[in-house]
Amino acid sequence: MSAVAVSRFLLSDLYRSQRAIVPVVGQAVLLAVLFGGDPGPLPAPWAASALALYPIAAWLGIVVANTEDPVQRHVTVVSAGGVRRVVGGVLLLAVAGDVVLSALSVVWPMVTTHYPHPLSVLALGFGAHLACALTGTAVGLLCARPLIGNVGWSLLAAGTVVVVTGTQSRVPPVGTVVRAITQGGLPGSGTVVVTGVALGALLAVGAAAVSARVGARTD
Amino acid sequence: MTVMEVEGVRLEGVRKRYGRRSSEVLVGIDLHLRPGRPVVLRGGNGSGKSTLLRIAAGASSPTAGRVVGRPRTVGYVPDRFPAQQRMPVGVYLRHLAAIHGAGPDAVREATELLAVLGFTAGAATPMLQLSKGNAQKVGLAQALTCGAGLVVLDEPWSGLDADASPALAARLDAMSAAGTVVLVADHTAHGPRLAGAQVYRVETGALRPEEPAPVADEITVIELAGDGDPRAAVRTLPPGAETRVVPGPGPASWRLRLRVPASEGDAVLAAAIARGATVLAVRREPVDRPVAAGRHAQEAHR
Repeated sequence: MSAVAVSRFLLSDLYRSQRAIVPVVGQAVLLAVLFGGDPGPLPAPWAASALALYPIAAWLGIVVANTEDPVQRHVTVVSAGGVRRVVGGVLLLAVAGDVVLSALSVVWPMVTTHYPHPLSVLALGFGAHLACALTGTAVGLLCARPLIGNVGWSLLAAGTVVVVTGTQSRVPPVGTVVRAITQGGLPGSGTVVVTGVALGALLAVGAAAVSARVGARTD
Repeated sequence: MTVMEVEGVRLEGVRKRYGRRSSEVLVGIDLHLRPGRPVVLRGGNGSGKSTLLRIAAGASSPTAGRVVGRPRTVGYVPDRFPAQQRMPVGVYLRHLAAIHGAGPDAVREATELLAVLGFTAGAATPMLQLSKGNAQKVGLAQALTCGAGLVVLDEPWSGLDADASPALAARLDAMSAAGTVVLVADHTAHGPRLAGAQVYRVETGALRPEEPAPVADEITVIELAGDGDPRAAVRTLPPGAETRVVPGPGPASWRLRLRVPASEGDAVLAAAIARGATVLAVRREPVDRPVAAGRHAQEAHR
């Protein structure tokens, strides 16, 4: 499983370079502020943290995809036996980050607030965060190397995409999922969230495929 | 070590262009890489050597044409081995072995190879603190110990010290004899001296066969000292010469060690004396390896 080995290699490098720490701390700070006072009953407050996770995951996606410098990327691609395995490793690590940040966002109010959190509400909250995070990962992969080589342009492009798509409550999956959560989990919001997660996963895999294709052609 | 099938790796009509408007870097390369016949590419800067190596290794796709028979495990060292990571050398080698799909034996073998190459940093040294030569040795260690069926090395002797260079050549000879396909770009004298080497010159994106340099059985090592510019003392050098300059005791003084084919030693020496250099030492040394390197190299490999 070269892709797993690649993601472990990237994680080891990221851990030492600490480039991923700012987006992770950013999400933690937002959770601290959001759930510090009286946020109201769950799942409605999660709309804000799920929406915030969209740009945070995009940022994390850029950081993970840009971990290696281009020459080391060549070495890794040859060692892994193809660019697809390396991009697979990038995707695995970014998605692992999405899962961890989604879990953190869901667990935080369980610990810091006294509102009831039945399993169905927890699942709804986790799904909403994951849908937004996966979509963010897709945006990050499309705005990082090899598609956009300069990290300044990467952040600008990702920021623009996130602002344009994240603020439209009718645009799936982020807009629709956030709206469903804001309304406090009305009947049918489960379907919206599940669809959102599936669509987010599809977008992330699609973005990885585009990244692999462009990488093989431009290198 | 993986033994390649007899047919080897074949590049068929490989072309490469970066972007639609730029000119072609490679204009149709046909090349058959076989075990026991290392291919050595020579050529100036920007001739397309590195691009050709990346395509052969699988780091890059050709715009047209294809690479047939590339084995699953390929060892690759780029022109400048990147050492940007903070991770220690030992951790880097472990990760690369895992990515190659090689086991813990590969890591042990890599550590042994580092010792053979005269690696002077430790396994706990962060990659980004390595000198160019030491980083190059780490690159070689990961590429040559992963059980590769194909090794692709871009200027592997550049940055290596005089002791490591023959060790690398012996290792490549041994791997080649054991069935690994070897492709190197090299501007030193080491590549063409590999056993069974086929030498090609890359010019304007195409290949032209070139005669391998005549193999000298002895070399003359000349140590010189002087002031000013060391290049003034040895203005012309025969093909295959190696030089190493170190600062001398005085402010503008230098010491220079030359290794030239024995047949050229007298001429180089006479010219250096005529230009005012001081001769510190002259001695003969046998060439690193005999020409029929197969059996000998295998022994060296063990």
